[in-house]
Amino acid sequence: MTRPLARAIMMIALAGMDIGRADWSRAMAAELEVAAADGRALPFAGGCLVAAGRDMLASASGRFVLTSYVLALGIMLPMAALQIGCAIFGFPYLYPDQRGLSGALLVGSPHEALLRSIYLGAVPALALIQLAAGIGHLRLAWSLVERNWPDALRWCLWTLSGVTALTLYMSVLFLDSRQAMLQAAVVGIELVMLVVIVRRHADLPAPIAAEQPG
Amino acid sequence: MRLVLASLSRQRAEWRHGYDVLKETGLSSGTLYPLLMRMTDNGLVEAEWREPAQLGRPPRHVYRLTADGFTLALKLAAEDGASPGKPVLA
Repeated sequence: MTRPLARAIMMIALAGMDIGRADWSRAMAAELEVAAADGRALPFAGGCLVAAGRDMLASASGRFVLTSYVLALGIMLPMAALQIGCAIFGFPYLYPDQRGLSGALLVGSPHEALLRSIYLGAVPALALIQLAAGIGHLRLAWSLVERNWPDALRWCLWTLSGVTALTLYMSVLFLDSRQAMLQAAVVGIELVMLVVIVRRHADLPAPIAAEQPG
Repeated sequence: MRLVLASLSRQRAEWRHGYDVLKETGLSSGTLYPLLMRMTDNGLVEAEWREPAQLGRPPRHVYRLTADGFTLALKLAAEDGASPGKPVLA
């Protein structure tokens, strides 16, 4: 059990190493076998994970990768989960009356008889736009981690378009669109951050494919 | 860094495996490898690949001090000798 766990930790460590450190990654992986034979696989692999983290923090490209992951995992994925959750489960953050979809449908409200048919027609479209924005956010996070900048910018603009459409649509229906506007603001901030990240990436020195022999 | 310099300078001409240095110095791999990487970047240590002693094992990295590294190791050892109370830092 210890050895597979150590190998898994080592794989995570090596995945985080800069491409210019490929030789060092192979060197640490080779020493893991020796450490395992010595019964020290787990502490050795844990140390290599720390070493990879230290090396990432020490280099501009490593810090850049960490920043990308923090943005993708810390902001974009939670936002995508919130948006998809709003669309599928009718979380109360988006729809009026803080009662999810039933609130949006005015169930039990005095105005239900007058307006319900209008909202019945609108809610599926609202949910669809919200779902599309959430999926766009997921693709945005993935493109960011992959450093596929054209895709990331395209998905960010699609997501921004989606939440802007949602805000306008809800406003036209006289629904409380503050939560949708908040989503649009967050996506707008993400777009600005993405542009900054793309510029910073262009300023980074090109990775050295292989270091000195040995 | 002093520990690694001292360890490698003891057998100046010998190529040493990372795990052997780790055991001798008592450092963890999380401390040793960043040190070796920086020392190699700064031209204090040289590294090369060696074929494995056992069949089926991957090639291993070996390390030894460069002339600059050995000079620094001697300088630091002399300083430590001059001030015995000075702690030896990793």
